[in-house]
Amino acid sequence: MNDPFEMLGVERRFDLDLKVLEKTHRELSRALHPDKFVQAGVSERRAVLEKAASVNEAWRTVRDPIARAEALFRLAGIEVGEDKEPKASPAFLMEVMDEREALSDARAAKDLVKVHAVGATMAKRASETEQKLTAGFAAGRGDTATLQKLVPVLGELRFYKRFLDEVSAIEEEND
Amino acid sequence: MTLLEIFDPKAPPRAIGIDLGTTNSLVAYVKNDRPTAIEDCNQRALLPSAVHYGDRGEVVVGQDALLRAAEHPRETIVSVKRFMGRGADDPETRRLGPYAFTAPKEGDANVVRFKVRDRLVTPVEVSAEILRALKRLAEDELRSVGGAVITVPAYFDDAQRQATKDAGRLAGLDVLRLLNEPTAAALAYGLEKKQNGQFAVYDLGGGTFDVTILLLDDGVFQVKSTGGDSALGGDDMDRALAEEIFRLAKRDAASASPGEVRVVLDVARQVKHGLTDVVEVQVENPLGNEPASLVVTRARFEELVQALLERTGVACKRALRDAGTKPEDLDGVILVGGSTRVPAVRAYVAKMFGKEPLADIDPDEVVALGAALQANLLAGDGDTDDVLLLDVTPLSLGIEVGGGVVDRILPRNTTTPAAARAKYTTQEDKQTGFEIHVVQGERELAADCRSLARFTLKGIPPMAAGMARLEVTFRVDADGLLSVHAKEDRTGIEQTVEVKPSYGLDDDTVEQMLIDAIDHGEEDLLARRLAEARLEAHRIGTSTKKSVEGDPELLVAGERERILAALTALDEAMTGSDPRKIQLRIDDLDASTKAFAERRMNRAIAQAIEGQKLESVERTVEHAKGVELAHGSPLPPASS
Repeated sequence: MNDPFEMLGVERRFDLDLKVLEKTHRELSRALHPDKFVQAGVSERRAVLEKAASVNEAWRTVRDPIARAEALFRLAGIEVGEDKEPKASPAFLMEVMDEREALSDARAAKDLVKVHAVGATMAKRASETEQKLTAGFAAGRGDTATLQKLVPVLGELRFYKRFLDEVSAIEEEND
Repeated sequence: MTLLEIFDPKAPPRAIGIDLGTTNSLVAYVKNDRPTAIEDCNQRALLPSAVHYGDRGEVVVGQDALLRAAEHPRETIVSVKRFMGRGADDPETRRLGPYAFTAPKEGDANVVRFKVRDRLVTPVEVSAEILRALKRLAEDELRSVGGAVITVPAYFDDAQRQATKDAGRLAGLDVLRLLNEPTAAALAYGLEKKQNGQFAVYDLGGGTFDVTILLLDDGVFQVKSTGGDSALGGDDMDRALAEEIFRLAKRDAASASPGEVRVVLDVARQVKHGLTDVVEVQVENPLGNEPASLVVTRARFEELVQALLERTGVACKRALRDAGTKPEDLDGVILVGGSTRVPAVRAYVAKMFGKEPLADIDPDEVVALGAALQANLLAGDGDTDDVLLLDVTPLSLGIEVGGGVVDRILPRNTTTPAAARAKYTTQEDKQTGFEIHVVQGERELAADCRSLARFTLKGIPPMAAGMARLEVTFRVDADGLLSVHAKEDRTGIEQTVEVKPSYGLDDDTVEQMLIDAIDHGEEDLLARRLAEARLEAHRIGTSTKKSVEGDPELLVAGERERILAALTALDEAMTGSDPRKIQLRIDDLDASTKAFAERRMNRAIAQAIEGQKLESVERTVEHAKGVELAHGSPLPPASS
């Protein structure tokens, strides 16, 4: 795969300043957008189109915490993907199950305040999980064995993400 | 001076912008730095999107076609845009309307075919007639027409976009770009009024509805999200009113003749227009029976269209959510499309977004004006460096996997151009081929999404299940058009995959239509190819000269001479009349500039990144002061 970090000219790390990267993405788009090359020859147009798409792909990867973590693992030679990662720990599953129950109760009761509250709790945990990833990637730089131990944290983040998607879906149906 | 301009035989080609609308179409260009709609000899800029096929093989477009619609309802196609890129069995073909359709024969492309007299015409061909009429109009004004930007509803899917591009090609236009209508409107507003901020564009046309949320920031038009319905518009209001007229006239719409349906639809439209200014309209019963006159009040009309408005509201809410914003955070709402003249629509928009919408640029013209601005920029005539349009895919793109489930590869609202890859493997032992079904839409099951294409990757040596490694790449270009590429990693097999569009014409069919159209005597194929080749040669020649002069430091020894030689050869070929020779010289020039172009691109990338590094240092200082970090907002929704 392309290295999205290299593409955007930033260090391979988890905590990135997205505001700066958004500008970098915009400047790169300015330099590479196919609109600027309509007059150019075929091979230049093709090359630019490809590059512009890669820049967009890199920005899409880097700005999403899960995709960013996946990219960091892959670049370190660790295969990730839901079917390749270890199962979540029973303790974690228990904890998520309680919240899930609270969410489905709130949904059944059409209690939007409660839905928001559960969502906020989980968003907070997701944020803490991201901080764990930041620390983990910083500590495990160049050390595959340490990084391997960080993979389950990504799994947790996936859980939270799915949970928060559900919260939005419930908010959507009550909008 | 004016005379000279008009009669200058060597007038340079001018780029044009075309709004190919459901009800009306128009063409515009940039005249003295201002986008201007081109009017016909009767000072009308709006060309009704109506095409009449006469009994002597003649084709009439526009107002004159519309006049023939009542008498020849089946031979006069209006609102053809609603049929673009749709299959022969699409629900659209079963709505109230006067047309006769023909099912495709075995092996034919699955597209709508109108039965008109003794021939069949596809929506692409009908649209090409409208585009040809616009092109003629532009030629009368400009002498020489260069490239064209054609607008499409943002919510158009891949098949609808492809059909539009095919129509442009069939009409002999050099299509520079397909531009989303709301983005075009925003461009017209943004460049005219120099506004910055976050805007919603509410675009309700004759047959399509789009809503787009975008950020205007010093010339950058960044679309955050888009939503809509490509089968919802003023026509549906007309239909609802037409059904009411049938009810008031105590007639059954199902038993009406095509002519009666056409007349009632026309009366319905007049009633709708009347109700914009007055609260009650009385019309003669168009069906001729008792009662002799019918009355429709605005209140009743508003009741009839309420459900349609609510459908637009659902799309608006989703677009706002996808953009991660709220109505109160918008700096303005821009109205586009003739249907936004309906008072009930304005009131609904004002309520939904909590602010009075902007309509100070004519909602019928604003899209074409924006397209003209974009065409001008693309042709290199405007101040390109300041303007950047970043648009998105309107619908998710994916592949059907086991159990008929969709594996989403590119989610909706992804910035274009876009690329994404996904990996698959074989389900069964000794499987030697992959059947790939490409779909577009938001639903979980492929059967509920729009089928775009099916193809098969064959010739993979038999392996155990799960051993093959198939990589599928999706690419969406700046027109929003998709191309799919598949490769088997283990064997390196990378067949050229035949993409058979599910609802579209393949290249050969379009090419054949092109030859047929030219056979009908309008022009000579060779002359057309020659004009196309010269236009392309002119464009590439000019841009090559510009870059050689602009970046001499990036040329290596001998390179300038090689490029200049290729340019001279091209110039020479252009004076000749062989389009193939011109094409060969274009290819030579392309080859001679390839490495140079690559260096220019890499330097542009390096400069963009370098510029940001400096800023990043400044921000690191802010960082230390506790300004928000990437992880300060966990899992944000797609925000740009």
